[in-house]
Amino acid sequence: MWPLDKLGVTSSGENRMPSVRDLRDRIKSLKNTQQITKAMKQVAAAKIRRAEAARKQAQPYADALGEMLRDLMDAVGSIDHPFMRPGKEGAPRGVILMTADKGLAGAFNSNVIREGERYAREGGGVVWYAVGNKARGAVRRMHAEAGFSESLSANEKLALAQDVAAKVTDDFNAGKISEIVLVSSRAVSVMVQRPEARVLVPVAKDATEKKEEQKGPRAEVEFAPSPEAVLTRLLPKYLEFTIYSAMLETDAAFYSAQLIAMTNATDNAGKLLDDLTLAMNKARQAAITKEMLEIVGGAEAQAG
Amino acid sequence: MPAKTIPFRLITPVAVAYEGDAELVIGVGTEGEEGILASHAPFLTALRPGILRANVVENGASKRLEFATSEGFMQALPDRVIVLVDSAQAADQIDRGAARADLDAALERQKQLTPQTAEYAREQSIIDFANARLTLAHADH
Repeated sequence: MWPLDKLGVTSSGENRMPSVRDLRDRIKSLKNTQQITKAMKQVAAAKIRRAEAARKQAQPYADALGEMLRDLMDAVGSIDHPFMRPGKEGAPRGVILMTADKGLAGAFNSNVIREGERYAREGGGVVWYAVGNKARGAVRRMHAEAGFSESLSANEKLALAQDVAAKVTDDFNAGKISEIVLVSSRAVSVMVQRPEARVLVPVAKDATEKKEEQKGPRAEVEFAPSPEAVLTRLLPKYLEFTIYSAMLETDAAFYSAQLIAMTNATDNAGKLLDDLTLAMNKARQAAITKEMLEIVGGAEAQAG
Repeated sequence: MPAKTIPFRLITPVAVAYEGDAELVIGVGTEGEEGILASHAPFLTALRPGILRANVVENGASKRLEFATSEGFMQALPDRVIVLVDSAQAADQIDRGAARADLDAALERQKQLTPQTAEYAREQSIIDFANARLTLAHADH
């Protein structure tokens, strides 16, 4: 049951039942709210489909890029690329904090932000790179150093991913940050989103080689001009694309979270409406009964 | 008798820009143009911004395709050829005004930068891609 005094239907000052009119007003406004949450739910459902389609479109690129990277990692003996070396010691860590631009999606954004803060507490300083309006706000509230700050939906995602990648790469190469970490939401399933921190740079060599055993030996690959030279160009692309694909995932996960939040809100409003309607009927019945008693009482007094 | 073909895919992060069977794919590699025919040995190279050419077979007829592409990679595998780029535009998709604007903006930014730096190279890549688009759009009209 819903305690009525917590619903803002407390009677004016006195300790009496809310009047029929109070309840009717309350029901009306709640119905409006329910309509809004229902509409947002439908919009979220439509946007999930669009976000999922965008992710699907990026899949062939992801597959091909991953395969090229595996071939390259197999071929290079040792490579002297900044991304393969440990970052500058003592420098703060660079954390890309990625959230959605909007709220009303349950704990979606705050979960990501909390994961970022948890990561930051592990020690050493942190330079934040905020992507998404909620992340920007969080970084501002922390009064922390922000190396970058941009909203997610106002820009073309691929260009934005390139900007972010360029910025973190420059800072990493200049020794301003010691590693590049991405904190964003992973879409575990349509129903479950989980924030995750991933170290993107320095690149762990074994992270790209997981599936190698099952594949068996591949034909000797020829590289032009050399595997090292190609890898030097591929690693920054890989960073860019990882950030881009995290943006697409954040989008999809956000709308899933919003769909769930708005479904719950609509259901809760429905339950609340039922309770309020019952309370209103009771109050009306009580008023009628009271009036009848008064009439009867008055009639008896006249007769007597 | 048409030449032997190999499945060819031109892929960007946003979409698969072209998919079909190619007789020959020519990309502008970092070391110069590289052509790939069917049954090429496994091969991987980085591409500079430029014009990617492919002879493809559509409905039994040979056809020549041209795309202005940004930097990327070209990979030949025993069973397919893959080109990965950030952006690929056929002549009829090119917005000349946008290409011109990109070119001017990048040239302007590059003036402030020192050669041999990552920032400079990044602007150069934008300049080259814009030039490739303008060249291709120009050749088409």
